[in-house]
Amino acid sequence: MSYRLTLVEAESCLRKAARACGLDWGIAEEAGKAARWLAAFDLPGPETMLAHLQQLPAGEYRQFIPDCSGEPWQAPGGLLCPVITGAALADRSAQMLDGHCFRLAATAWPLLLAATVGQAARCHRTVFTTAWAGVRVSCFENGLSIEGNRDDLLLERVDSVTCQQDGLSEPQQLPSTLSYAIDYDLFKVIDQLAFQTYAPATEASRAGAGAGLTDND
Amino acid sequence: MSREDNNILAAADEFRRPPEVVMRLARMGSFHQTRLSFMRSLLRRLKKEKWRFKRNLWAIDKQGFGRAVYTVYGPERAYSLVAFSHELPDHMRSDRVIATAWDTTFALYDGVPDAADLDRLEANVPKQEAGRISDSELSLSRANRSVRLWQHVVESLAAGRQPDREQLESVGYLVRTTAVYGSGKFGAADRLAIADRPEVSGPFQAEMLSVWLTRSFSIDLVEHIAAALGGDEAVVIDPDLRRHIGVGNSTGLGMAPFLINHPALLNNWMMAREEAFARVRSLPGAESQAIEEFKREFERARDNVTHWHSQHPIQIEKLADLRADFEQMDGYIAAHTLADDHPWDRFYRWAEEHLTLEGQEQLLSLMLEPYAALVDDLTQCMDADEHQSFFIDGAMPLARLREIIESRCKWALAVDYDDASNRARFWYTSAEKLEPRVGERFEEPGADYELPLAVGYDIKRLHAALLDSEQGASIAEFLLTHPEHRHTLRRVQNLVTHPYAEIQDNLIAADMLPIDILRCKLSFFGATKFDPRSDRWVRICMYQDAPFPHEWLQVEL
Repeated sequence: MSYRLTLVEAESCLRKAARACGLDWGIAEEAGKAARWLAAFDLPGPETMLAHLQQLPAGEYRQFIPDCSGEPWQAPGGLLCPVITGAALADRSAQMLDGHCFRLAATAWPLLLAATVGQAARCHRTVFTTAWAGVRVSCFENGLSIEGNRDDLLLERVDSVTCQQDGLSEPQQLPSTLSYAIDYDLFKVIDQLAFQTYAPATEASRAGAGAGLTDND
Repeated sequence: MSREDNNILAAADEFRRPPEVVMRLARMGSFHQTRLSFMRSLLRRLKKEKWRFKRNLWAIDKQGFGRAVYTVYGPERAYSLVAFSHELPDHMRSDRVIATAWDTTFALYDGVPDAADLDRLEANVPKQEAGRISDSELSLSRANRSVRLWQHVVESLAAGRQPDREQLESVGYLVRTTAVYGSGKFGAADRLAIADRPEVSGPFQAEMLSVWLTRSFSIDLVEHIAAALGGDEAVVIDPDLRRHIGVGNSTGLGMAPFLINHPALLNNWMMAREEAFARVRSLPGAESQAIEEFKREFERARDNVTHWHSQHPIQIEKLADLRADFEQMDGYIAAHTLADDHPWDRFYRWAEEHLTLEGQEQLLSLMLEPYAALVDDLTQCMDADEHQSFFIDGAMPLARLREIIESRCKWALAVDYDDASNRARFWYTSAEKLEPRVGERFEEPGADYELPLAVGYDIKRLHAALLDSEQGASIAEFLLTHPEHRHTLRRVQNLVTHPYAEIQDNLIAADMLPIDILRCKLSFFGATKFDPRSDRWVRICMYQDAPFPHEWLQVEL
């Protein structure tokens, strides 16, 4: 069964789900934005992000943080997290704008990396292109282009990725503002993860809100 | 809008109040509506663009149950309030956002709905959060009849009498909304879908339109029921009395985090308001017409305060202060011509010395009133490109970040968070209510679920981490090893271009009053008669004394 998720809900659910999986709020925000951005192009951002989050070992995500002292970047645990690494690349936008091409070693779900870096492309009103296997994903300020083999888009793991600024051209596809269709069972899994960020009720919390009055006005 | 980007800020620099004066909870909790408020800017636009109005459907039975559609037609698009009125057993009546049944439920439809749309909406809108709306709807809301006023008005009108004026004015509304959801909530259209429509792209314009039409529906409904009850004897409400009926709203903690979660938006709201005030203060003199208008508005506001009641000790005191402030202002006005020598600036400087914050902020609102041509364009600056403030400048050296914190966040650094009272609270989302709440950190469990809303505390912790780091390093390098500071660092960098983005108070202090945050936001909506029911829940009135669609717009037959 399919469920219609608005883009706001996609961002909010995945942000919370990322937090529930141990990412700090600032990184979780990147995860929410990336999932939303992909969903706006009818790409499976929410599902892919869920798959990635489910693979993150609780409390050990620092194993996925890139060692940026040399290239290609590598993770201590052997596999780079696309969100943490994408954010680290976005933080180095200035170097990409200067023409530097970043090279990464083994990376999980590179589509998520492209979308996370893509947020910085939007801010700089430029194009950042992420390439892996046989596919290149370019993120524009307000659009996206996919060149090459689309079958490689959803690869779960690749051995190398490059990321750099690209020449300005026209995006192939513009984002849609319409809601995103997701499998209902998968949505429930995301929703349940998001729910884990909510505090269970206590007697004190029950007493805390509202006027404690009946509707007497 | 940023300090660098906008030339609207060029004027009146020396008259602008700095963030450290404005962004304090006590002051924000004393804000009043202004002519920049969202309800007022909406109505101005509808009038200017000659929007038309039509009640497209009225299928309400004698008991007052059924459906209705109210449509406004603009130059390019139409929007319709789809209203459902239901029977609500007394035991299900609740003032809380978490209720499950209401007297009336609404959606704002993008266009004019057909019968199939109405059936779809009727299957979902009455369920509110438990239902699902679509890309064709811009808001979802509900309202309950006022227990204090509804029955009195029905019985009076049915018997051929007008309702009691005093009672009507002091309550101020027939129905009270408990939530108005927009922007992608519960399936509604994403904000981006309306971003290129000038009529609804400003903050909360769709929601404000929905509430304005809800007001008309509430009055039509009460008159309809009275007519069914009283037959030939029944009368309608006198137009003069009608005007005093607005729409009530109850707002709790759920709304408070919004202003903290949208710093760029908060900045733009505040900057527009402060810029408007600075422009007026910078005027070397005032024309007699402006002075007369100011005095008229002054009397209106003073009259409004006499009908503004509250049972909450905090607000009782604030209202007493405000009434005293009005007397003082009255004395000032009598003793000054207000014509020359920067009259508004002099008046405000006097107010800073002599009035409470309630009075000072009331004066700000009044001073903007005569100056439509000078300030109304600022409403165009009250939206925000939040994506731009998501960006982190990773190339910035840590030393520069420290400098920003030390110059712009003194309010955060000055707090001693080792003192338990300064960390007494935590913000979280309740699993039971699915709503934000405030907990007592040292008295109840749940702090593990804390939301990143302890802004001051987090800035101080970021500052401490910076002191422990190598100063020549870049932010990009720092964040690799300190991902826990990413959220806060984003906020701090944002302050360079958005100086009014942060509330400069401790949001987790034992004595923090959530109602101050609520009042600030609601004043930007255009609400009046703030009536706190606790330190975290406030009742207000919207659109009281505003015109009705059939008076303001051309009516389609």
